[in-house]
Amino acid sequence: MESGKNQKFIKPPIKVLLAKPAIDGHDRGIFVLARAFRDAGMEVIYAGLLPTPEEVVDTAVNEDVDVIALSLLNGAHMTAFKKVMDILKKRGINDIAVVGGGIIPDEDKPKLEKMGVTGNFGPGTRLDVIIDHVTKRALEVRELRKNEYK
Amino acid sequence: MNINDIVNGILAGDKRMIARSISLIENDESAREAIIERIYSHGSAKIIGITGPPGVGKSTIIGNLAPMLAKTGKVSILAVDPASPFSGGSILGNRIRMQEALSRYNIYMRSTSNRLYEGGLSEYSWDIIKVMEASGSDYIIVETVGSGQSDLDIMNIADITCVILAPGLGDEIQAVKSGLMEIGNIFIVNKMDREDSYMAIKDIRETLNMSNKADIPVIGLNSLTLENYDRFVKYINDWEYQNKYRRNERKIKQIIMEKIYRIYSEYINNIDSADIENENPYYAAEKIMKNVAGQKFGYLEK
Repeated sequence: MESGKNQKFIKPPIKVLLAKPAIDGHDRGIFVLARAFRDAGMEVIYAGLLPTPEEVVDTAVNEDVDVIALSLLNGAHMTAFKKVMDILKKRGINDIAVVGGGIIPDEDKPKLEKMGVTGNFGPGTRLDVIIDHVTKRALEVRELRKNEYK
Repeated sequence: MNINDIVNGILAGDKRMIARSISLIENDESAREAIIERIYSHGSAKIIGITGPPGVGKSTIIGNLAPMLAKTGKVSILAVDPASPFSGGSILGNRIRMQEALSRYNIYMRSTSNRLYEGGLSEYSWDIIKVMEASGSDYIIVETVGSGQSDLDIMNIADITCVILAPGLGDEIQAVKSGLMEIGNIFIVNKMDREDSYMAIKDIRETLNMSNKADIPVIGLNSLTLENYDRFVKYINDWEYQNKYRRNERKIKQIIMEKIYRIYSEYINNIDSADIENENPYYAAEKIMKNVAGQKFGYLEK
């Protein structure tokens, strides 16, 4: 996009919520991601430190995001990510994609995938890999919503 | 889900439907017109505009103000943050400062990007406010982007415009004298715990008095101790709300501008810079417009 021009957005930007849904203050990684997503043309909302899983889902619904990107580096992913997924399921929300990341052991990744948390990127992952994955999931969700509305 | 579900959801105050309708308004032109057509006549709310330079505490003040207003009515919040002129993306950070209040008092809050629209709000802020109004809100708090001197759109949308300032802007207060300093119905100096805060109040008071605005209050707030918030809330509640006419007039003009722009953007975008490189710009523009009237593209007749 050319700088300084008052031009229309032709494609609606992807909206992402970044959240760390447990007691975890390691937010350097999530700030790096926030900037990377912004530079990829997305609208990024960061939920701040220490939101509860309920707050994460509330925020996602109120802001109508396409993707929730969860990050945990403290090992609580199997509990906290699951809780977010359970709340989404309980409220009957199937049109928000959830991706994960952080310090996630390889043996947990298939379990998370099964829950519906995809990606599960660890440290050292290239940013464009993450951006591509989020974009892919967002477009899947958009497709779902398109069919729903018409 | 179809348009009737969405409209009924808005009128019933269903947050998921409100959220979805706002996305449709931002992204889909035909849905936007369909939604506004159905909800147009519903609801009436007091629209409170919060504006001011970046970093003075607009979001923090809203986080404190919203629960106080929630005692007397339903509150909704719309916050606008700037988009990046390079990528078009944005980081919407207002929510962090008010998350606690939102969850506890069941307040609907939406952050939007201005999508490079100039003036301190986004292009569809009017539409989003309309949706919030139709959802039964009594108060709608609208936060602008951290504004410069000329981001003044808020005064056409809000019933009451609150300009937030902070101590330490002392010298700049002189600089923003015209523009921002003219649109406030109330001036707030936040961060009263800081040094020089009383000097800031004095400076603003003097500026207002000089322009015959002695009846406009300047209130110092301390957002850590909630000092003086009661005066702020009282002033907002006692304000005589009357702006609907100007708000609509402004929106109608904007819609017409947008439609004209869309018709002519095709012609504007078809101008080849090689053709006009050495021309007098005024002459070139005149000639292109004549060509447009004759339904031709560009500068040179091809």
